[in-house]
Amino acid sequence: MSASTEVAPGIRARPRRSLPSGLLGGLLVLPASAWYLILLVAPLVIVVVMSFGTKSKFGGYEPAFILDNYAQALDPSRVSPFVTSLIMAVTGTILCLLAALPIAYFIATRGGRHKSLLILLLIVPFWTSFLIRTYAWLTILGPDGLAGIIGGIIGDSSFRILGTPFAVLLGVVYAYLPLMVFPIYVTMERMDRTLIEASKDLGAARWATFRQITLPIALPGLITGSILVFIPMMGEYVIPAILGYGRVFLIGNQLVLQFLESRNWPEGAARAVVLIVIMLVTVIFYVWFVNRGQRTREVSVL
Amino acid sequence: MSDQELERYVRQMRWQLERAPLSRRGFMWASAMSATAAFLAACSSGGGNATAAPSSAAPSASASASAAASASEAAVESLGPEPSFEVPPDIEKELFMYNWGDYVDPNNMKQFQEVFGVEKFTYDTFANNDEMMAKFQGGALGQWDICCPTMNYVPAMRDQGFIQKLDLARLPNLKYVDKTFKGQYWDPTDEYSVPKDWGTTGISVRTKDVKEPVKSWREFLDLVPKYSGKVVFVDSPDDVFIAPLKANGYSLNSDVKEELDKAREELLKVAPHILALDSDQYNTKIETEEAVLGLTWTGGILELRDKPETSDVVYTIPEDGTVFWLDTWVVLTDPPHPVAGHAFINFIHEPHIQAIETETNQYATPDSAAKQFIDPKMLADEALFVPEDVVAKLEPQKDNSGITQRQDIWAEFKSKIGQG
Repeated sequence: MSASTEVAPGIRARPRRSLPSGLLGGLLVLPASAWYLILLVAPLVIVVVMSFGTKSKFGGYEPAFILDNYAQALDPSRVSPFVTSLIMAVTGTILCLLAALPIAYFIATRGGRHKSLLILLLIVPFWTSFLIRTYAWLTILGPDGLAGIIGGIIGDSSFRILGTPFAVLLGVVYAYLPLMVFPIYVTMERMDRTLIEASKDLGAARWATFRQITLPIALPGLITGSILVFIPMMGEYVIPAILGYGRVFLIGNQLVLQFLESRNWPEGAARAVVLIVIMLVTVIFYVWFVNRGQRTREVSVL
Repeated sequence: MSDQELERYVRQMRWQLERAPLSRRGFMWASAMSATAAFLAACSSGGGNATAAPSSAAPSASASASAAASASEAAVESLGPEPSFEVPPDIEKELFMYNWGDYVDPNNMKQFQEVFGVEKFTYDTFANNDEMMAKFQGGALGQWDICCPTMNYVPAMRDQGFIQKLDLARLPNLKYVDKTFKGQYWDPTDEYSVPKDWGTTGISVRTKDVKEPVKSWREFLDLVPKYSGKVVFVDSPDDVFIAPLKANGYSLNSDVKEELDKAREELLKVAPHILALDSDQYNTKIETEEAVLGLTWTGGILELRDKPETSDVVYTIPEDGTVFWLDTWVVLTDPPHPVAGHAFINFIHEPHIQAIETETNQYATPDSAAKQFIDPKMLADEALFVPEDVVAKLEPQKDNSGITQRQDIWAEFKSKIGQG
């Protein structure tokens, strides 16, 4: 704004207004849209274009327009990694939710002056590399660790945890739990405490209060958290490879196989597109489903 | 300090002693070293997992120290004159290398820098050949001078223009390379690549747990279901395909449909019984007895045999034949420092430098001339320096990455691991 007055000092207030506000808005939005274009839209377009190509002689990509890659990706005998991923991600999200809800609730309502310390403690693990933390689980769950102890108790020396879906679930829940706790904590922290008192005054029992007051208020946090957790779990690659010993074969592992081992980029790209579509559909359905529930409740509150 | 490190330290010290005429200062240094070695040995024997190694290492160290002290002049005579390096006058002050992790002896790199006046030596790493190829296909040429692909990737790198012809006049030490490694399919004219290290893929067995003889891929595959959940394979399609193909008497590079169908059948039969596909931690799994049978490389397995608790580990080269792989030095296209790159490749093939490489990397050297400088115990190791009659059964790895059927089988196999 000040620029325009400098350029034309003789003219006063009028031209200021005439500087199209759309232009300024456009300028301000430019960095964000550039980021959006370069880092989201462009790669997405590349992936989609590549998914119709063929593999060149030495691997990699060669332009073409074929649908074979999608036929391969959707071949019923090869969709099992999709299904496994979906089951793991849904189970993992539910487990994260069950674990995060009490944690967030506790910190928000009972944390008192230790609140920031407790939140800090949740962040502390992030100071160590993700990979190192995952490798640490190898020792904890390994034959010299928990598996050995449990094996000793039940008298089965070959009992093991690593290389089972359970180990992978534990790994993903551990890795993504904070992403679930924070959004729930934020919504619960902002909650108007008098609502709970009112609910109690009106004779609601603890469970009824939780179900009818706390949960609906925390719902936006639950949704955000679930999406934040579900999406990376769906594409998870490292944890099944390390803790699952590759015995739990997820879509992420299949993509790595396609891109790095077979160097068949087009087929990998087709799978990636299918994955993106599945995630979009799942997330949209999820948000729609949860929002629908919320709206009726709002109406009922009114 | 692990046993292996300790032993290497002692060996290096011994080498230093045998090589150099022992000056007064050198003698004091040597005694200090052997005292340190003995101290370290004493320390690590308290550590629990190293009781046999130090007791054998320490006396041999002191013995060799005194032997070297008494007969140092003679030793120098027998090992030939102090090597001299010809430093090219036009050498650059930098060298950028792209290599597998921990694949060059650090002291050799230091010595190269000192002798050749290379001030900046960059060592970047890749985890596997495909990652390296993906980098170059993405246009990363001009960033590095030299690189170490496995031989079956050399033709593709040549055809795509990733590597350039070597300046053979700058590589006189190639005369030390055995002719077995020359004129092979990956580089028929020996103009593009220089052999680095070679090795095999074979069977690792905890003989404590597995009493049956496992001498061939056939026996190995038949035993897998019996040791269900206790078998580890390396996560590498080329290597895994060896077992079913060789067990049926086919070439490990087979692209014949019927043969690959048979291989698929065999692989899917064993898939549910496999504990893990693991290229990084397979030796740990065998060490902890989580796995008692393995389709593995030699890396990390050979040193298990030296530890008392895992001395029952046996590495076998199967009777029905296996692969031999060879890593090679190549000079990349548009190298920023071509002279330094060539100088390094030539330097590393100096026999005594090559011997240190072999002892550090624990893979066989392609240079026979280097063998006189290698620890005889290591030379006698048939898993590492394979006897002639076994060499005859080895088959070189080819580039099979273009065979779709193999990829499909591999993907199917991989998704069926542990799914009983």
